[in-house]
Amino acid sequence: MGLVSSLVRLVLSPQFFGPIVFPGLVTVLAVLLSIIWVERKIAARVQMRVGPLYILRPLGGAIQMLADGLRFFFQEFIVPETVDRVPFLLAPVVAMSFAMLPFAFVPLAPNFKPYTVPYSMPAFLGLNTVIPLTVLAMAWGSNNKFSIQGGIREAYMTIAYEAVLFISAYSMALLYHTLDFAEMVEAQKVPGILLNPISALVFFIAMIMSAGKLPFDIVEGEQEIVAGPFTEYSGIAFGLTMGIGYVQLYGFTLAFTLMYLSGWEPLVAPLYSIYPALGGILLFVKAYLLLVFIVFLRAVYGRYRLDQALRIGWRTLFPLAIVSVFLSIALGVIGVV
Amino acid sequence: MSSSVMEARLLEKEGDEEVYEVFIGPQHPASGHMRLIVRLEGDVIVGVDPDIGWVHRTMEKLAESKEALKAIPLLERMTIIDSQNVTIGYVRALEKLLGVEPPPRARYLRTLLSEINRIASHLYGMGLAGIFVNHSTMFMWCFGDREVWIQLAEELTGARLTHSYSVPGGVRRDLPQGFKEKALKAIRYMEKRLDEYHRIFFDNPQVRARYEGVGVLKPHEARRLGVVGPNLRASGVRYDARLLGDYGVYDELEFEIPVREEGDAMSRLLLRGDEIRQSMNIIRQVLDKIPEGPILAEKYLRLIPPKLREPALKEGRIKFPGIFANLKLPKGEAVARAEMGHGEIFYHVTSDGSKKPYRVRVVTPSFRNVILFRYLPPGHRFMDLPAIYGSLDYFPPEADR
Amino acid sequence: MNTGSRLERLEKGLRDIGLEPVKAPGVLRVDAQPESLVPAARLAVEHGYDHLASVEGIDWPSEGVIEVIYHAESYDEDLRGTLLEIRVKVPRDEPRLPSLIEVWPNALFLERETWDLMGVVFEGHPELRRLLMPPDWDGPPPLRKDFKVKTEGVFVNVE
Repeated sequence: MGLVSSLVRLVLSPQFFGPIVFPGLVTVLAVLLSIIWVERKIAARVQMRVGPLYILRPLGGAIQMLADGLRFFFQEFIVPETVDRVPFLLAPVVAMSFAMLPFAFVPLAPNFKPYTVPYSMPAFLGLNTVIPLTVLAMAWGSNNKFSIQGGIREAYMTIAYEAVLFISAYSMALLYHTLDFAEMVEAQKVPGILLNPISALVFFIAMIMSAGKLPFDIVEGEQEIVAGPFTEYSGIAFGLTMGIGYVQLYGFTLAFTLMYLSGWEPLVAPLYSIYPALGGILLFVKAYLLLVFIVFLRAVYGRYRLDQALRIGWRTLFPLAIVSVFLSIALGVIGVV
Repeated sequence: MSSSVMEARLLEKEGDEEVYEVFIGPQHPASGHMRLIVRLEGDVIVGVDPDIGWVHRTMEKLAESKEALKAIPLLERMTIIDSQNVTIGYVRALEKLLGVEPPPRARYLRTLLSEINRIASHLYGMGLAGIFVNHSTMFMWCFGDREVWIQLAEELTGARLTHSYSVPGGVRRDLPQGFKEKALKAIRYMEKRLDEYHRIFFDNPQVRARYEGVGVLKPHEARRLGVVGPNLRASGVRYDARLLGDYGVYDELEFEIPVREEGDAMSRLLLRGDEIRQSMNIIRQVLDKIPEGPILAEKYLRLIPPKLREPALKEGRIKFPGIFANLKLPKGEAVARAEMGHGEIFYHVTSDGSKKPYRVRVVTPSFRNVILFRYLPPGHRFMDLPAIYGSLDYFPPEADR
Repeated sequence: MNTGSRLERLEKGLRDIGLEPVKAPGVLRVDAQPESLVPAARLAVEHGYDHLASVEGIDWPSEGVIEVIYHAESYDEDLRGTLLEIRVKVPRDEPRLPSLIEVWPNALFLERETWDLMGVVFEGHPELRRLLMPPDWDGPPPLRKDFKVKTEGVFVNVE
C-alpha cells in the first residue's frame, strides 16, 4: 500500500517524471522511433517511393524503427583490435547520457520544473556542448583515417555553430531579462520569433548544424568519409551514435519552442488540472512539428561543403547573432517585454 | 599550357609525412568499383591516383575468342546502362569489314534506340551526381524516371538493358504497334520532369554552391587530355561523334550539339539536361520521318530460309539462322567511333580472314575520362572530390572493360 | 608551305621525314619505325592531332612482332573526320618503344594499359605499374596470342 503510493508519488514528482518519462527518456525513445520513420516516409513521398512498409503494414510500416533497433541490439558489436578501447567503448555511452541530461532542465508547464535552477537555459545548452567532445573521443579512439577526418570536421563544425548558438540564445535572455526557460515562456506575451526573428533564424540554423542534419551532415559525410567518427562502430553502439543527433535535435526543438514559440502557451487548462506535466502537451506538439520540418529538409537539400558551412557560420550567422543581441537590447530598453 | 606543365600536373607526387593518404574504395559508399588513393594536405587534395581495374573482364581478349557476332552481347556488358551505344561502334566496324550497309529503316531504328539509351544513361549520371552531394531526391527521381525510358527500350527490343539490338546489316526487331504514342507520352513526361529537376536540384542554392566553379576544365586542356562526351562539350569544345555522320541518320536530322563554356562541374551537369532535350527532339523527328522498308540488309535476308523469311518480315522479328553467327570476316581492319552517353567510344577491329576477329581494340569513354581524376581534383578541398566524381559521370565497369 | 588543308600539310610533313602516309576511309595510315615515331607524333600535334584516341598492341606471333598502333584524333572541324594511325612494329621478345607522354599527355593511361596487357615497354613512361591486372600479376601479358583463355565448355546435366 504505502510502497505503491510512494512509487506513484516518485514517478509523478517533477524530478523523476521530467527526465525519465516526459519529455525525457521514454518520450525520447518514442520520438526517436517515430521521427526516423516520419523522416523516411516524407522523403519517400517526395521521391516517388513507398518507404518503410512491411513491418506493421496497416500503419505503413510505423514500427520499422523498432525492428531496426532490435536488430542493432542483437547484431554483433565488433571491437576492432586497433582501437583504443576505453574511449571507443565509453564515448557513445557518455554522448548518449549527455544528450539525455538536458531534459532535466526543460520545464513542461507553469511550476513544473524537473530541476529547479534559475539558469536552465545556459545549463541546457552547456550540457549539449559535451557531445562534440565525445565525438572527438570516438574519432580518436577509432584509430581510423575516415574517423579522424570526421573528428576534425566535428571540431571545425563546433567552432562554426557553438558561438552563434549561444549568442542567439543569450540575446533572447537579454530580451526576457531571465536565464530561465519557464520565466521566458511567461515573459512571451507575443511569441519570441516575432519579437526577434533574427535570433530565431540563427538559432534554428545553428541547431541543425549542431545536430548534424542535412544540409549540414558534414561530419558523417558518407560520400567521402563513410560515416565519419562512427565508421568503426557496429551493433548497438552504432545505433547509439545514430540516435545522438536525433535526441539532440529533439532537445533543441524543445528549447526553440520555449524561447521563440511561447512554449506551452496557450495552456491546455483541463489537462493541466489533471496533472501539471500534461500541460506541456502543446510544447511537445510544437517541438515535434518543428522536428518534422527539419527532417523534411533532407528531401530538399544536399550537403554543404565544410568550408562553406564554416563561412555560413562565421560570415553570415555570427554577424546576424550580434545584430540580434542589439535588437534584443533595443527592444528591452523601449520595454516591449 | 605547354605539355610539360600539363604532364607535371598529371604525374603522381611523392608524399612526405605531411601528406595524409586516404584510400577511397573499392569498398566505400561512394567509390564505385574502383579505388581512389587520395593524398591530402590538411583539407586540400594534392594528388589522386585512380586505381582502376577491379572489374576488368578482359573484354578484348574474350572478343577475340568468339565468333564476331557473339561479341555483341559480350561487349554490351561494358556499359549495361547504355548497351545500344556501346555496341553500335562494334557493329559499324563489322559492317565496314563485311562491306554491308543497313537499310534506311534500320538506321532510323538504331538512332531511335541510341537516343533512348542516351537519355537513360544521362539520367543515371545525373542521379549519381545528386547522391554524391547527398541529394537523395535527385538520385531517386532520376532513377525513377529512367524506368520510363528503359520500358520504352524494352517495348522496342524486348530487353530492358541487354538489347543486342543492332546486328551487322540491320536491327533485330521492327517498331512495335503503338510505339509512337508511348514515346511521345514519355517525351511529354520528361519535359515536365526536367523543369522539376531544375527547381529541386539545378537551381537549388546548396547544389549550386557545391558544383559551381568546382573542377574547372579549360577547353585546351580538354582537347589535350582527349576528354570525351559531355565533359568535353561542357568545356566549350563542340565535338560529338554523331557529327561524323558515320552511323545512324544524324546527318538527315536537325538537332543541336549543346555546348557550354564554363567547364565546371555544374555546366557538366546542366549539359546532360540539355542533351536529354536534344535527344527527345531527335526521337520526335525519327518517329515522324521513319521510312517503310526492310530492317535487315538484302544480303542477309537471303540467308534466312524462305519459310521463315515471310513471317519474319511480317512480324518484324528476325530469328537468325545459325549460319549468321558463322560469317567470315574478310581480311582487313576497320575503325569506328560512336557517341555514347558518356562520350565517344572507339573500336578498331582487325581480322585475319577467319570467323573470329583477330583483335578487337575498344577504348571506352570512361577510360579516356579517367585521366580527369588525376587532373581535376588537386587543389580542391577533400569534400569536392565526390562533386567532381559525380560531375564526370564516370562508369567503372566501362573503364575497366 | 601554308597551302592546302592541314591534313595535306601533315601528309607532306610526314613524307618529308621519310614516311609513307596512306589514305583509307576515315584514316590516314602511317607505318613508322621506332626511331621515327616521336618525330611523326610531334608533327601530328603541330598539325592539330592533339590527343590520342587509342594505343593498341596487336600480337603477330607468326612474324615475331608486336604491332603497336596509335590512333590520334582531333576535335577540330576539318580534322575530326580522319584519324591518324601510326603503326610501329617491335620485336616480340623485346618490345620497346619511346613513350609519347611528352607529346600526347593522355598517353599516360593508354600506354600504361598497353604495357599492362600486351607487355610493350614504353621507355620514359613515368609509371609503368599494373593498371587493369592485379598488382601481383606475373603471368604472360594476357592480350598476347600465347595466353590462352581457358573455357569450361557447356555443362549438361542430362544425357
